[in-house]
Amino acid sequence: MSTTASTPAAAARAGTTATTTPSEAATRRPGPRRTGALFVLPFAVLFALFLLWPVAHGVWMSLTDESLTLRGTEFVGLANYAEALGDPDMWRSLANTVFFTVISAVPLVLVALAMALLVHTGLAGQWVWRLSFFAPYLLPVTVVTMIWNWLYQPELGFANQALDAVGLGPVSWLSDESWAMWSIAALTVWWTVGFNFLLYLAALQSLPDTLQEAAALDGAGAWRRLWSVTLPQLRRTTVLVATLQVLASLKVFDQIFILTKGGPDGTTRPILEYVYDVGFTGYRLGYASAISYLFFALVIVISIAQLRFMPRREG
Amino acid sequence: MSLVTTATRPRRRHHEDRGAPLTLGAGRLPRALAGGALTLFAALWLLPFVWAVCTSLQSEQDAAAPGLNPLKGALTLEAYRRIFEGGNVPLWALNSVLITGAVTVITVVVSTLAAYGLSRGTFRGRRALLAVTVAAILVPPQLLIVPLFQQMLAFDLVDTYWAVILPQTVAPMMVFVLKRFFDAIPRELEEAARLDGASELQVFRSVVLPLSRPIVAAVSVFVLIGAWNNFLWPYIVTNDPDLMTLPVGLATVKDTFGLVYAQSMASAVVAAAPLIVVFLFFQRRVVRSVATTGLGGA
Amino acid sequence: MSVDRPLGRPPGPADPGGPPRLGRRRLLGLGLAGAGAALAPWTLGGCAAPGSAGGPNHLRVWDPFSGGDGMLMDEMIADVSGGRDGFRVDRTILEWGPSYYTKLAMAAAGGRPPEVAVLHLSRMAGYAPGGLLDPFDLDLLAEFGITEADFVPGLWQRSHHDGRLYAVPLDTHPFVVFYDTEIADRAGLLDGAGRLVELDSPEATLAAGAALAEASGAAGMLFGHVLDPAQTWRLFHGLYAQTGATFALPDGGPPEIDADAALRAVTFMRDLFDGRANPNNLDYFGAMAAFNGGRGGLLMVGEWELPTLAAAGRPLGAAPFPPVFGRPGAFADSHSFVLPHQENPDPARRREAHRYVAEILRRSLTWASAGHIPAYQPVTTDPAYHELQPQSSYVDAAESAVLDPPTWFTGAGSTFQNEMCQPLQAVLLGDASPEAAVERLIDECAELLDQPNPVV
Repeated sequence: MSTTASTPAAAARAGTTATTTPSEAATRRPGPRRTGALFVLPFAVLFALFLLWPVAHGVWMSLTDESLTLRGTEFVGLANYAEALGDPDMWRSLANTVFFTVISAVPLVLVALAMALLVHTGLAGQWVWRLSFFAPYLLPVTVVTMIWNWLYQPELGFANQALDAVGLGPVSWLSDESWAMWSIAALTVWWTVGFNFLLYLAALQSLPDTLQEAAALDGAGAWRRLWSVTLPQLRRTTVLVATLQVLASLKVFDQIFILTKGGPDGTTRPILEYVYDVGFTGYRLGYASAISYLFFALVIVISIAQLRFMPRREG
Repeated sequence: MSLVTTATRPRRRHHEDRGAPLTLGAGRLPRALAGGALTLFAALWLLPFVWAVCTSLQSEQDAAAPGLNPLKGALTLEAYRRIFEGGNVPLWALNSVLITGAVTVITVVVSTLAAYGLSRGTFRGRRALLAVTVAAILVPPQLLIVPLFQQMLAFDLVDTYWAVILPQTVAPMMVFVLKRFFDAIPRELEEAARLDGASELQVFRSVVLPLSRPIVAAVSVFVLIGAWNNFLWPYIVTNDPDLMTLPVGLATVKDTFGLVYAQSMASAVVAAAPLIVVFLFFQRRVVRSVATTGLGGA
Repeated sequence: MSVDRPLGRPPGPADPGGPPRLGRRRLLGLGLAGAGAALAPWTLGGCAAPGSAGGPNHLRVWDPFSGGDGMLMDEMIADVSGGRDGFRVDRTILEWGPSYYTKLAMAAAGGRPPEVAVLHLSRMAGYAPGGLLDPFDLDLLAEFGITEADFVPGLWQRSHHDGRLYAVPLDTHPFVVFYDTEIADRAGLLDGAGRLVELDSPEATLAAGAALAEASGAAGMLFGHVLDPAQTWRLFHGLYAQTGATFALPDGGPPEIDADAALRAVTFMRDLFDGRANPNNLDYFGAMAAFNGGRGGLLMVGEWELPTLAAAGRPLGAAPFPPVFGRPGAFADSHSFVLPHQENPDPARRREAHRYVAEILRRSLTWASAGHIPAYQPVTTDPAYHELQPQSSYVDAAESAVLDPPTWFTGAGSTFQNEMCQPLQAVLLGDASPEAAVERLIDECAELLDQPNPVV
């Protein structure tokens, strides 16, 4: 954040001395001080209205018994937070969220890496590979759930028909407690892996070739170069991709909400759906806000942890 | 925030699509193995598309017949005819186009201006605003659904287009990405224009913007994908089916005839098509967009 | 892009001078209010109040009916849409379940909901007290020919809150028994008129189950419940009511539940579905399939399954749920029409909404063909209704309908029903004793009542 480290005065000084003489600046530039602010104004207004204010107002709501219905609201202090910490359903949905994060984030990083490495070998048909892997990412969630609901359909869906063809029994992909979360994770990997794949591909393409060449001259084989040169070079990208993936997986909601509504029997309900269920279905907006902020605290902790694991910039 | 800064710096080097390939060695075997693995992945990834498209081209009876062959009967566009005749799909598609367009235009204009102001401005509070903007990147939008809905109630905006659009236009990440780019543009060019008597806005439009086309395009694509696919917020704030976007309407509103797989898949194909087509035409740009802006999205 | 389609929907250019409507809620804060005012004019640009594109007879209606019910509703709507006085109805079907009720509440909170919606009467306690519904005008209803005398007293009573009418029932849909007349005949369970004999004690019911099992060569009585979020509760709640005990959930607790009566009901459920004569581990569709395949003599299920069962081709009889504990009583609910809360209702359109409800009620004979018992009594006394078989054979069930205890968290599609089902399912599956289940039922109720009530 080097740009923000300097004071505005220092920045102004740097800006002017670099290009014009101070006297010129004084006469010619009534501008930046004011116009700079005007440039920023529309964003600042939207930002304040639709991000800062809700963040602050949410904190206030979490301290009240605010309801979706039209009855009045009372300040309840930290009661919502206390209730949330002792709420088994909250903990259960949090555990579901963490479980989903583990079983989705690991393949989402590894499969993306594998895809990117394979495509980066330069085999013919680059655009076909990129299209195949990235296209699902362009689908709205509802399209994804419609397609997969059809694939997972118990009697006619592709998944069970394929199992049947090899003589295996049908699986209740979305209604069996022991399968549902895995089915959701599989769909999620299909849907979003293309994004990580592109990030890895871009990283691979910007790696300097010199080390590769040196290693090749030293007689290192392809595997050897992959393990000892390429993967270490990708360490930083991997930490970034993994962090973003963990944060994204923790925020899972859409596909679960549409496909299983958190069922069967709450086994796939993630924390964000619990917020929705409590706040909108159960009318308790204040309590839902408190749960949101507990979740936010978790997100912040993970983001900070990531900064600590972040290797210094390589190369 | 090294997370963002390093990864989203504008790339100066122009990369070939292939970059520097990982050499596979001389043997044929590694090549065949890699090719086989890629083909397998691609087949797995394309299969759901193929299955969906095939189902959409069947009659309902054929679609509901068992068997691994997705094309059990004659091809027919009946399912497509039905969704365009009977239902809300055309209306939702129009809503999606309007809302996505508005979100993209507003976000890109507002963010670009703000990024330039933050990069060049010297107004009081610039540093604070920048710091808060960067911190806001960490705030998951899902966190805000409850207070934002409450706020929309207070503004009396629930069930309006504005309620869907406005909250989506706040994109601190995009502001940050753009600001990093502007920071890297040498200021001499702007000063020259200023000496010619150009106003700040003119400088921005005639000097800075032309230089920034790639990054603005990248940000636009990124915002557009996000807006077209957004589900949670539009779902929360629209209850009136006439105002719903495609993803929300398809997930919420049912029709009289329970489950109809061919029609369901036809709707899915219609909702999927626009972005896939855009991607086919602008593949390279989209790829670059994701690579440069992506690390904040996910 | 140019947004020349009207954005937003509140007051049009007709009242540009009026202050921006900032909602009936107290403002979030002064600064915010200012910002809201700045935004409001945008939303006004050239647009009209919701639906005012048409005349007052243009109504938006919501319901959760797809499948057979949905088609009948289509028919009734088409029927009231023709002619000079016809309505212009904009019908929306939303997916049935918690999401339907969530959307309805959010739309009402937002102030621009549909003019008329369908609500399960059991859910009214979660809507009316919180201001999410507007009351009906009795005079208007009377003007269109709908009065108290047209309804079963219990149902009419239940549609009130604080002395005002918030719902107009369209039907009663009770939990009933369907039987295979062929199998029941073989088991000797039909009376002279070919109807199922009254099973008026636990012993008689158990014996009937055994006889049916023998006659069918497979199962006797069928009941699907595994992983279902309502079925065991429906069965239990009806049986419990038959004991004469009250099940009440007063605000703030504790729950008023008679543990002995509950134990009687649960023990009977376990004894009946013992896994021998009557299977204990079927899911909803499994039970339906077994009955349709002639692999069981009697099915306990809601009457709304009538079209599916009739289509399967078995010789079908139906009866109110038997008075096992000596008095009639069966779990039921009622689809009813409500007026979701609108911030600025147009009086002319409100009037039309009343007329619409009256017109649809008068056509509820159509509705009855799917199995539901019309709430509008003039229809049930119509000879045409009596010709509907087996619908008219369980019409008495409406008199002894047992709805969920009224409180904000109960009702059709609620988590409450699902929570009640968990211990009951465990009993049927042999994973818990009736005693433990009753204890858990009462505990769950106490816990739910412990939550702060967000409605009042």
